[in-house]
Amino acid sequence: MNALSTPETIESLDIHEITDPLTPWNTIVWNDPVNLMSYVTYVFQSYFGFTEGEAERRMLLVHNEGRAVVATGSREEMERHAEAMHDFGLWATVSKANE
Amino acid sequence: MKKFRRDASGRLTARFEAREAELLRRLARDTTQILTASRGPIIEHEDPALKRLLPDAYPDDPEASAEFRRFTADGLAERKVRNSKSLIDGLGENAGVRVSVVLDDQAAQAWLRTLTDIRLILAARLGIERDGDVGFRGTADSFRRSIEYQWVGYVQESLIRALNAQPKQ
Repeated sequence: MNALSTPETIESLDIHEITDPLTPWNTIVWNDPVNLMSYVTYVFQSYFGFTEGEAERRMLLVHNEGRAVVATGSREEMERHAEAMHDFGLWATVSKANE
Repeated sequence: MKKFRRDASGRLTARFEAREAELLRRLARDTTQILTASRGPIIEHEDPALKRLLPDAYPDDPEASAEFRRFTADGLAERKVRNSKSLIDGLGENAGVRVSVVLDDQAAQAWLRTLTDIRLILAARLGIERDGDVGFRGTADSFRRSIEYQWVGYVQESLIRALNAQPKQ
């Protein structure tokens, strides 16, 4: 008998309520018309530890493309980064990395 | 204003004219007031300024957003209030006199964040929503606010430059 032919065990799992542990999450910072480019670069450098060049590259992504991924990892960790960005007054969101 | 600079001990110093110091105190008090009004069960805010200070972490998922807010909004608001108090402390309460401020790293971080919050609030009041917006300027009030918005940006830029500078040997 093939185990795959007994799907009953699956039915008890609500797939909308669980998080696929293999799918990472992103913290995304969005463009806004208020924050200075120098400030966004400073935050990326001081908080995430990016080099000046890398911080500037991501700041320009935010500025030109409207958003940039600043971190990838577990959902909990990405929420912590988003909260830290809100502390700095940057608008950050959390989403699945493949969305 | 005399711009921020790092002194030999690494601290950040600047000097504000009496009316500039008074303006910063008033804007910091406004920030505290807006954030204190947010206390209680924070579900969703009508005030666009508050919405920008405590933004949605999951714009496409109201449930996850509410959950995130439940766990973070109070702490976030509390830290922001503390930052604005740090700015008022740094300036002192003496109205009508020129103020020299001396900030250590921790105070400088608080100033940096609260200057941002002040600008976010002014921008929300001015209706600045996308790059290039200059905001409402039709009334005396909005014109004054728009000048304040630009000036606080200047103060912040000066602080960022000083923070990026190496301590003088």
